[in-house]
Amino acid sequence: MQRIARNWRAFRDGLSQFYHGPYRQTLAREQRTEDDFFTLIVLGEALGVPDPAAYYSMELMPFLYRDFHAWHRRMGMPRSPLENVACC
Amino acid sequence: MLLTATRSSPLVFVGGKGGVGKTTVASALAYARAAAGQRVLLVSTDPAHNLGHLWERSFGDEALPAVEFDTGGVDALEISPEATVSRHLAAVSATMREILPERMHRQAAAHLELARNAPGSHEAAMLERVADLAQLPGADYDSVVFDTAPTGHTLRLLSLPTQLGHWVDTLIDNRERSERFANALQGLMPAEAPRRSPRSSQLMNTLHTRRERFARLAAALSDRERTAFVAVCVAEPVPVTETIQLADELAAARIRLAATVVNRRTPPALDGDRAAGEAAQVARLASALPTSGMCEIGRQPGPLSGLAFIAGVAQHLG
Repeated sequence: MQRIARNWRAFRDGLSQFYHGPYRQTLAREQRTEDDFFTLIVLGEALGVPDPAAYYSMELMPFLYRDFHAWHRRMGMPRSPLENVACC
Repeated sequence: MLLTATRSSPLVFVGGKGGVGKTTVASALAYARAAAGQRVLLVSTDPAHNLGHLWERSFGDEALPAVEFDTGGVDALEISPEATVSRHLAAVSATMREILPERMHRQAAAHLELARNAPGSHEAAMLERVADLAQLPGADYDSVVFDTAPTGHTLRLLSLPTQLGHWVDTLIDNRERSERFANALQGLMPAEAPRRSPRSSQLMNTLHTRRERFARLAAALSDRERTAFVAVCVAEPVPVTETIQLADELAAARIRLAATVVNRRTPPALDGDRAAGEAAQVARLASALPTSGMCEIGRQPGPLSGLAFIAGVAQHLG
């Protein structure tokens, strides 16, 4: 009886993955694109893109450091592009 | 004339070409208002400060008394962008220490140090102080008079709140889209989607605070009841032309040009030809700007600094 229940649950989860999977991937990708764009704007000045709002984007930087490593990898830069931030 | 034209405005910006006497006019206006019983804060936003030279005192980033009357008085300060940037960096560092693990503190601090000298930082710091000081009328002071940098810099400074407002809007839109995707993801797969951290709402708060500050300053600047601009020039062809252009640009920025001041008029008895040439330029200015008041100040004899000089000019503001 327990085995049937377990199998049923596995089957149900599989179906859920099958139907929701593509949507989940799209949503996750869209969210990541937004987040990456945000990081790019805030770090613009440090990356050599003149940012007229550098003084104000500075106060957003602390919120980005944690995800910085994953970000520069996603952006196709294997090493940290910021001289002072040696995350890898 | 100048006093009546700007009477209703607690915020006055005095601007114009370099070397025409902006500091003198701003100081005399502050002096006259104080003599009439107001508490006035006189602020220099020109990085090449010369309030101190004119008042023969030394001023700094904190307000110091310049002159006291029975009821009113003038306090003066010269905005230091360096000090403002330093305070801002210190505040950002504090936030950083709160949310980053200790091993990242040193790197992040080194990175922040780079932002200290980023182009535009001083300008943004100047704007930050102007925004703070523009909030003062009603509290410690009845009015704030700004002695500004030469025309181009000042126009740019006054247009920044609107521009930066757009910048913050872009970032807020971006964060809201990101959060919508995150919420949709969570609805789809409650167990798997990553939870949004409290940092994300802290970030949103920071952005919203900024947006409100820019919006408040932009609204104050274009409020015809609250803000008046005074354009100073001398009666020569180039300064007059520049003043007429300045009037157009202020109109485009929806800032009220309350009055123009023609400084250092030559008395006809001293030099008839010169006085006639100046009169022609004054007539040109008057016909180009029929709706704003005009105030003429004669060439002053004697030393051009000190309290007696400022009080003397204040007599001519009318």
